[in-house]
Amino acid sequence: MSTEPTNERESKSNRASPSAAADDEPAQYRKSASPEKGKAIIEMAGVTKTFFRGKEPLTVLDGLSLSIEEGAFEALMGPSGSGKSTLLNLIAGLDRPTSGKATIAGNDIGAMSDGELAKFRARHIGFIFQSYNLMPVLTARENVELPLLLTKLSSAERRKRAETALRVTGLDDRMDHYPRQLSGGQEQRVAIARAIVHDPTILVCDEPTGDLDRKSADDILELLTKLNVDFKKTILMVTHDPAAAERATITRHLNKGKLE
Amino acid sequence: MIRLFLIAARNLKRSWFRTTFTVAGSAVALVAFIMLRTVLWAWSAAAEYAAQDRIGTRHKVTFIMPLPLRYADDVRAVPGVKQATYMNWFGAKIPTQPDEFFASMAVESKTFFDVYDEMVVSPEDKARWLADKKGAIVGHVLAKKMGWKVGDKVVLEGTIYPGDWEFIIDGVYKASRRSIDDSEFLFHWDYLNDTLTGEEKDTIGWVTSRVTDSSRSADISKEIDRVFDERDTQTVTMSERAMNVSFMAGFSALLTALDVVSIVILGIMLLVLGNTIAMGVRERTKEYAVLRAIGFEPWHVRFFVVAEAATLGIVSGVVGVGVAYPFVNNVLGRAIEENMGAMFPYFRVEPSIAVLAIGIAIALAALASLIPSIQAGRVSVTDALRRVG
Ligand SMILES: Nc1ncnc2c1ncn2[C@@H]1O[C@H](COP(=O)(O)OP(=O)(O)O)[C@@H](O)[C@H]1O
Ligand SMILES: [Mg+2]
Repeated sequence: MSTEPTNERESKSNRASPSAAADDEPAQYRKSASPEKGKAIIEMAGVTKTFFRGKEPLTVLDGLSLSIEEGAFEALMGPSGSGKSTLLNLIAGLDRPTSGKATIAGNDIGAMSDGELAKFRARHIGFIFQSYNLMPVLTARENVELPLLLTKLSSAERRKRAETALRVTGLDDRMDHYPRQLSGGQEQRVAIARAIVHDPTILVCDEPTGDLDRKSADDILELLTKLNVDFKKTILMVTHDPAAAERATITRHLNKGKLE
Repeated sequence: MIRLFLIAARNLKRSWFRTTFTVAGSAVALVAFIMLRTVLWAWSAAAEYAAQDRIGTRHKVTFIMPLPLRYADDVRAVPGVKQATYMNWFGAKIPTQPDEFFASMAVESKTFFDVYDEMVVSPEDKARWLADKKGAIVGHVLAKKMGWKVGDKVVLEGTIYPGDWEFIIDGVYKASRRSIDDSEFLFHWDYLNDTLTGEEKDTIGWVTSRVTDSSRSADISKEIDRVFDERDTQTVTMSERAMNVSFMAGFSALLTALDVVSIVILGIMLLVLGNTIAMGVRERTKEYAVLRAIGFEPWHVRFFVVAEAATLGIVSGVVGVGVAYPFVNNVLGRAIEENMGAMFPYFRVEPSIAVLAIGIAIALAALASLIPSIQAGRVSVTDALRRVG
């Protein structure tokens, strides 16, 4: 993929990381000291998304325009059914806009084939769901390794990277546990490790704390903040929780298919 | 790829109950399939392994009707006939075990083992037998089953020739070829004939000959029948193989039925596997969507489903063969060879049938997963991941 803006993520930060991973700096998380301020990594112009329920059209996003800078941590709020997930799916390359243009990390989502979208997701997107969605038959480490099966990495390298990602999310001692042996908060940490293991450009989170108690939710938000601040991940998070939104640098409100 | 296969295979652990029942169901079907195929195989093996250079001559109407004794010499006189022997079906029972079935025959002792040279008997046993008017040679399977040893006195009850008949076991034979029944009871034709009077005396059941050139056995058979064309009793002569084939042709409807049944069994197995696979796919829709969201493509998901199914097939196949093989070879086969040796002298699972069964199990599972895998590949990621709220 030629549209890939990796060059500015090469330089290293010497800022101390609060994580255990700080000692053996993982190669896959090269920190950029200064993401180009003002450079939009998510750019949407006049995006409309219309679903059809039978013959009945339902316009969920209505000429929406949006620009998100690289390295931002943004929250997206709005009533149920306002189209938050739909917007997130477009940004993640899971769906195409009905009209308008969505440019994500330099890729025109509307113009890509299904196969290209799959590769785009594998390269640029880390997805975090409300309900974790881990594979129950796989251990934490194996779940985290999943995205790396699409790469040419050796199994030793895959394992190493998965372990590093789990260390970043604070699960050093849970690597061989199965999802059912973990708490909700821990499961979500595994899911986050799975979302960052392939070093994506953008983390897309759909109500990541929706199923968690206050304490676990705060831990997850802390972790996301760390990923944003220390690892310079661009994060877009849908949430109903005002406390969660507070973590973000910008909070946007979606209502009736438009941003307020 | 291998990794993906192993992950898919692990899905089978998720619902132990279902997996166990599916494997058990498929394995039972496979065992039935293997037994049916083995019946069909064993049946045709009898024809397949039959000697080509051996021909039999019997009464034209039916083999129950006897031929005059002198026919044996007439057959020997036909050019191309190397050696000929004759025998009568005796039909004996063991008085204490009347349900025990075995072939018992009064044979012409001088020539019998020349014509049936794959029935191997030691020179000492043979010599002892030839010198003993009441002597008998028995198949090693029958001897073992009855606990008969050389020197034992045995009394049999005649069914065709009534009365108690006393024999001395002089030796055992062992077949060097699978088409031969290892449970026959053979004794001197003279011993029988000497007791007969009237019409029954000096008659024989049939004549069996070895020909010098097996490729000419059909011509020689015709030649023999021509000799008796003008006599009171006409004959039918055919090679042992042709006889087996024509015998089997009489059962062709049964054989076809067995074929159909084995296909029906496979059909049931396909449904069992298909149901399990479809259920698994339906439950895992969301997981497939997650894989797709991560960047896996539809063909990965299809592979995932087929891999899980193939594993189910492999396990079912191995379990099925693992049960059928020892069962047929050690229990069922032995029982059949002992009790139905005349029809199935060799009843064992052929390795090729075992391999075929495992192959079929895998192929059926893959086939059963075809439609579910296509459905799984088509799952709409956004729909599957959507949740209300
Ligand atoms: N694939 C779809 N087909 C039809 N309607 C859909 C589809 N996806 C979402 N919708 C509808 O679009 C609206 C917005 O959905 P969503 O983006 O999930 O809202 P939110 O995440 O803000 O709760 C809802 O009314 C929903 O029913
Ligand atoms: Mg939603």
